[in-house]
Amino acid sequence: MEEQTPHLADPLIELTVNRVVADTNTDTRIIVLTRTDGSAENFTVWVGAPEGESIKRALSTDVTPRPMSHDLIRNFGEHLGIRTQRVVLTDVKSSTYYATVHLENKGVVRTIDARPSDAIALALRCHAPIYVSHGVWRRRSGQNLEAWLTKLETKKIGTQEV
Amino acid sequence: MITQMQVNGLMFDPYNNAFIVILRDEDQAEMLPIWVGKSEASSISLSLENVAPPRPMTHDFMKSYLDAFNAKVISVVITDLNENTYFAKVHLMYEDSEYAVDSRPSDAIALALRSQAPIFASESVIRKQSSEELDQWLKNLKPEDFGKLDS
Repeated sequence: MEEQTPHLADPLIELTVNRVVADTNTDTRIIVLTRTDGSAENFTVWVGAPEGESIKRALSTDVTPRPMSHDLIRNFGEHLGIRTQRVVLTDVKSSTYYATVHLENKGVVRTIDARPSDAIALALRCHAPIYVSHGVWRRRSGQNLEAWLTKLETKKIGTQEV
Repeated sequence: MITQMQVNGLMFDPYNNAFIVILRDEDQAEMLPIWVGKSEASSISLSLENVAPPRPMTHDFMKSYLDAFNAKVISVVITDLNENTYFAKVHLMYEDSEYAVDSRPSDAIALALRSQAPIFASESVIRKQSSEELDQWLKNLKPEDFGKLDS
């Protein structure tokens, strides 16, 4: 769903986290997001392993014995009555994505700067929608990463096509 | 009874492939080793070194989440030790009310350092930790260790 916010000229596209792919060659994870409106193209964000694992845990029903970092932030929100309204991937500069987390308490809205990984990890735990600005969506990688992602997931990197 | 502790240092434990945060009280009489993972150790280290990374890391994000609504970290307390797991509480002040939130010690310490908030350990944790050390030492004793006389 494209959503127009009154103060932003750049419309927002809602995204859903599809899956987390491990790039075991490096200590990173790839977050694959798809458009909530169902169109085919996806959006990928590279994040660190701990953040990627945190996002992966949020997607599953796995519960850790003790609260992990993003669980703690969510718990702060529950104690203090701070609601995570939404998370927006607002910009991309030199291959680094920037996110803004919109928080609300008693009608007051505040925004904080965040890395997409932390923003998404928290959004999932708070059931808050994730958006990307249209401008950032347009500037995403044009390459078809789907084939490469599949190879990574089935660990066929380095094998020849027969 | 709680004792104020300082982060004395950060060590790598090759046997467990983990990191140890060493907490010590002011008199250097009590020591608490807290095992943490790599990313928590990195976060604590950055804070100790006063290094600001180019983008906010998870605990910087955690702090700015609280700062957004002027919630303050009053203190963190390492409250208990149970089956090799430490338990902690983060004490927050928000709009004239105090809140105590259950936490892992690693997150609590990383947040306390960024908030310039004091870190405490309860007396029972300090006592338990030193008795666990004794148990560990006793377990590692071999039969030939007994009966040795100082010569």
